[in-house]
Amino acid sequence: MEEMILKLKQEIIEVLNLEDITPEDIDNDAPLFGEGLGLDSIDALELIVLMEKNYGIKLQDPAKGKEIFKSINVMAEYIQKNRTR
Amino acid sequence: MLQESRVNVLSVKQISIQKPLTEEWMTNPEIHTESFVRAIDPDFRQFISAGDARRLGKLLKRALATSLSALHEGGITNPDAIITGTGFGSVESTELFLEAMIRDGEQMLKPTWFMQSTHNTASSLIAIHTQSYGYNSTYTQKGLSFECALYDAWLQFGLDRISSALVGGHDEMTPEFAGFMRKAGHLLEGEICSEAAVSALLSTREQEGTKALCTVAGVEILDSPDAETLDHAVRSMIAGNIPDAVMTGMSGNATNDGYYHFLKKSLPEVPLLRYKHLFGVNFSSSAIAFYAAANCLGKGFIPPVLTLTGESVSCSKGILLINAVEGRHYSVILLKPLCGKL
Repeated sequence: MEEMILKLKQEIIEVLNLEDITPEDIDNDAPLFGEGLGLDSIDALELIVLMEKNYGIKLQDPAKGKEIFKSINVMAEYIQKNRTR
Repeated sequence: MLQESRVNVLSVKQISIQKPLTEEWMTNPEIHTESFVRAIDPDFRQFISAGDARRLGKLLKRALATSLSALHEGGITNPDAIITGTGFGSVESTELFLEAMIRDGEQMLKPTWFMQSTHNTASSLIAIHTQSYGYNSTYTQKGLSFECALYDAWLQFGLDRISSALVGGHDEMTPEFAGFMRKAGHLLEGEICSEAAVSALLSTREQEGTKALCTVAGVEILDSPDAETLDHAVRSMIAGNIPDAVMTGMSGNATNDGYYHFLKKSLPEVPLLRYKHLFGVNFSSSAIAFYAAANCLGKGFIPPVLTLTGESVSCSKGILLINAVEGRHYSVILLKPLCGKL
C-alpha cells in the first residue's frame, strides 16, 4: 500500500502540475480539496481522468468524487478495491 | 456617432525574443540567427503564485505578466475593457490536447488542455485575475488580430462606452506548428519564426502620476486594397502632416517587403523602419510594431536598430504603422506624440 500511495502522489503531482510540491509534502490524511492541497473542481475532473486512464476506474457518478477524493489514503483505498488494471 | 477623444497610450509591455518587460533592445538587442526562436520569459512568480500558475500555458502566463505590468505602470487597476488579439491562441495546449485525442482514441481527455485550447482564455484570465468584469472580447484574424482588437477599442472609445482599455496581442509557437506555418506559406524564407505577447493600456483620461507614451490618432483596416486605395488611406490618416517615420513589417524576405513598396510613392521622403529582424515573425507581430513605435515616441527618438540606414531618427511628429498580411490585408495606425506637430 505504501508503494501505491507514493505512486499515486507522484501521479497527482504530475497531472495537476503541482510545481514545488513533493510527495512528502502531501499528508496522507489531509483533505485534498479546500484546505490541505487546496484543489478545486477542475482538479477533480483531472483526478477522474487519472483514475480511468491509469487504473481503469470509470466513475459513473461524479458526485461520488467528493468521498473518494477526501484524502490520499481514502483515494488509494478506493483505487485498490476497484482497479481493473 | 463617434466622438473625437484623445486616446492616450499609458503603457505598453512585451515578452518576446528580446529581453522581457524592458526596452533594453533599443540599445542592446539580442541578435538571433536561428529560424525558430521561443520567447525569453521573465520570472512569472513575481506576477502569479506557483499554485495559480500551474494550469496556465506559456501564452497565458505571458499575457498575464504583460497585462499586470502595463496596468501597474499605467496606474489603472480595473480597465473598462479587455480586448485581445491572437492568431492561434494557446497553440501548445491545443497541440497537447490533439496529441492526447489521437493517442487515447478520443477518450479520457484532460479538461485543462481543452479549456486552454480556446482562443478567448487570455482575455478571460486577465479579467478574472484583475476582477475587471466589463467589456471583454477576443479577435482571431491571423496577422491582423491585434489591429482588430485595437480597432474595437478605438470604436468603444469613440462611442464613449469606455474610458480605458487593455488591448493585447498574444501568440505562442511550437517547433511542430512552426513547421506547419512554413508549409502553409505564413512564414517565408529568411524570416525568424517567433513568439510575442504585448499588452497596451489605453485611456482617454489623464492618470495622476503617469505620463502617457503617445496617443492613438487613427486605426484603419483594409481588405484587399489596390494601390490607389492604400495611398488614399495613408494620406487620409496623416492629413497632410508628414510623420517622422513609417513602421513597416519588412522582414528581409523580398516577397513580403514588396508589399510596402507603395510607400515609396505615398511617402517618398519618410524613413522606413523595421522590427522583425529583432522580434521575428508571428501572428502578433503588429502588436510588437505598436509597442516599439509607442516607446520610441515616449522616449523621443527612434534607435538605429530600427532604421534601414542605421541612423537614429528624432521623434516629434508621429509614427505611421503599416502592416501588410500576405499582401492582401493591411492595417494603418497613426501614433502621435503627446505634444507634437501632427
